[in-house]
Amino acid sequence: MLNVYLFQILNGLGLGMIYFLISVGLTLIFGLLNFVNFAHGAFFLLGSYLCYTTVTLTGNFWLSLLLAPLAVGLLAWLLERSLIRRIYHLPHTFQILVTLGIALIIQEVSIMLWGPVGKSVPTPELLRGIVRLGHFAYPQYRLFLIGFAALVAVALWLLLERTRFGALVRAGSESTETVSLLGTNIFRLFSVTFALGVALAGLAGVLSAPLRGANPFLGPEILGVAFVVVVIGGMGSFGGALAAGLMVGVVQSLMASLWPQGSSLMIYAAMAVVILLRPYGLFGRA
Amino acid sequence: MNPKLTTPARGDSRPANAIFRRRPAATTLAMLAVVIALPLVVPSATLACEILIFAMAVLGCNLLLGYTGLLSFGQAIFFGSGAYVAALAMIHWQVGLFTALLLAAAAGGLLALLVGALAIRRTGIYFVMLTLALTQMAYFIAYTLSDWTGGDNGLLDVPRPPLAIGGFTLFDLASPLAFYGLVAVLFVLLYLGARRVIDSAFGSTLLAIRENEARAAAVGYDTRHFKILAFALSGAVTGLAGALYAMLLNFAPLSNIELPMSEQILIMTIIGGTGSLFGSLLGAGTIVILGDLLSALWPRWMLLLGVALIAVVMFMRGGLWGGLESLGRRRAGAARKAQEDA
Repeated sequence: MLNVYLFQILNGLGLGMIYFLISVGLTLIFGLLNFVNFAHGAFFLLGSYLCYTTVTLTGNFWLSLLLAPLAVGLLAWLLERSLIRRIYHLPHTFQILVTLGIALIIQEVSIMLWGPVGKSVPTPELLRGIVRLGHFAYPQYRLFLIGFAALVAVALWLLLERTRFGALVRAGSESTETVSLLGTNIFRLFSVTFALGVALAGLAGVLSAPLRGANPFLGPEILGVAFVVVVIGGMGSFGGALAAGLMVGVVQSLMASLWPQGSSLMIYAAMAVVILLRPYGLFGRA
Repeated sequence: MNPKLTTPARGDSRPANAIFRRRPAATTLAMLAVVIALPLVVPSATLACEILIFAMAVLGCNLLLGYTGLLSFGQAIFFGSGAYVAALAMIHWQVGLFTALLLAAAAGGLLALLVGALAIRRTGIYFVMLTLALTQMAYFIAYTLSDWTGGDNGLLDVPRPPLAIGGFTLFDLASPLAFYGLVAVLFVLLYLGARRVIDSAFGSTLLAIRENEARAAAVGYDTRHFKILAFALSGAVTGLAGALYAMLLNFAPLSNIELPMSEQILIMTIIGGTGSLFGSLLGAGTIVILGDLLSALWPRWMLLLGVALIAVVMFMRGGLWGGLESLGRRRAGAARKAQEDA
């Protein structure tokens, strides 16, 4: 009996790490650029599909783990330079509408390229087995997922806290004008941050592909979850995204065995309560 | 507070508004002409019905986005619950047409009162995300209550009762054209009602809130109160549209209450032109007709909708109506110039 809960908690941690990777990009982009990206879920979707294609063509999951986020990031970079950059100064309403249009385009193009029916991605051969600990058995891939995402999280933290780039991003979140006046090319910083944030969504898409496959209607659902995590954690907060992502993942996973239909309902209710009681999130600042 | 967060959606809709106000009779006549000509011009009366039903929902959305500056992703809640409430009342209680429609409007209005009261406690992006979260919640509630809503399968065999007063049947609405008559009368009434609301002191206050909420509050208006009322009105209209849609299809699908439905209504509103009632008709008409024509040719036509949405926000914030307006202005200017030259 206890094993069932342990199983669900580990599942929840894996799910939570995926949620963290999606949301941290969203939160990074909002924090630095004050930009609301409604296309974030669509980029996740693209990551999953690119993983599917790479695995189908080459049979190599590891290659897709490298290529898909790079491709998604590159696309985001191009989009930023051509379109997104023109709407930073507009009110959030217009940003939402433009990115909603982008999400619609990505979703339809995905259906054109990969068909309306979802695709499943095989678990990489190296990780097909299970890990045994006494009576407890757990799939290897899911453990790898937790470990790998944790490594990415640490790397991202180091990038944000220990490098010049990170310092600029953090300073830019406080005041873009000051950073710009100090001689940094703020536009390049914006482009790179946008591409990085979106690439993380793509990476989350790749990691979730062997578990959930790729399905053209995943976008809106993932976007909803990403907003839940960002709002609960606090807009623009790295630690908030991590804590809230894990929390939402574990709660959703435990609920799935207690009250399956209610598990999705719960997280949106939680988000509504947090916005009403603590508008800046659990870890956010006013 | 960041001024970006409080700047309402407006863009270039102001000129459209100004002219619309100068010639309200002309646009009302144009609306009447369109409503009369519609079943003759479009391929089927069913399609004409669909256009007016969505135009109603867009009218409701416009009241929030165009006139109050509130971007709500919650419209599907009102549309879907209107459809469910009317369908359930007709199936289980055998209520008549008007009772079903009234119940749907009341349900939409009450839910909107609730959604509005919760969501407007936050502004800007948090407001938008609250409406989004509430739509997702409504979707999962409808999905979970499958005994009532039919879950994924939706509610089948929704009746379309005849137009009857006191048990005496006046019109049978079984034919699409007869049903169009009912929808058209309701749409015209709602349109005129919306005009009255917008031209009233209440409407001016909504516009003031859209332009600058802080100032409207400083002048002494309880802006929260006005925003919630705008929500309730919008929800009632949208609920009514949802009920009519269920009667048209004889079916209330779960997709009525999904986020993409909210998006679709929003896109129609923006492409037609926010802040213009005639734009609502234009937006719904264009997208329903395009959808009908294109979906047969190219199932991925929604791609164009995404492109159009981006184009409108980037280049033509008044939407189709705003575009027509500026075209009209340019022609009027050219004519005046020609006259002066002569």
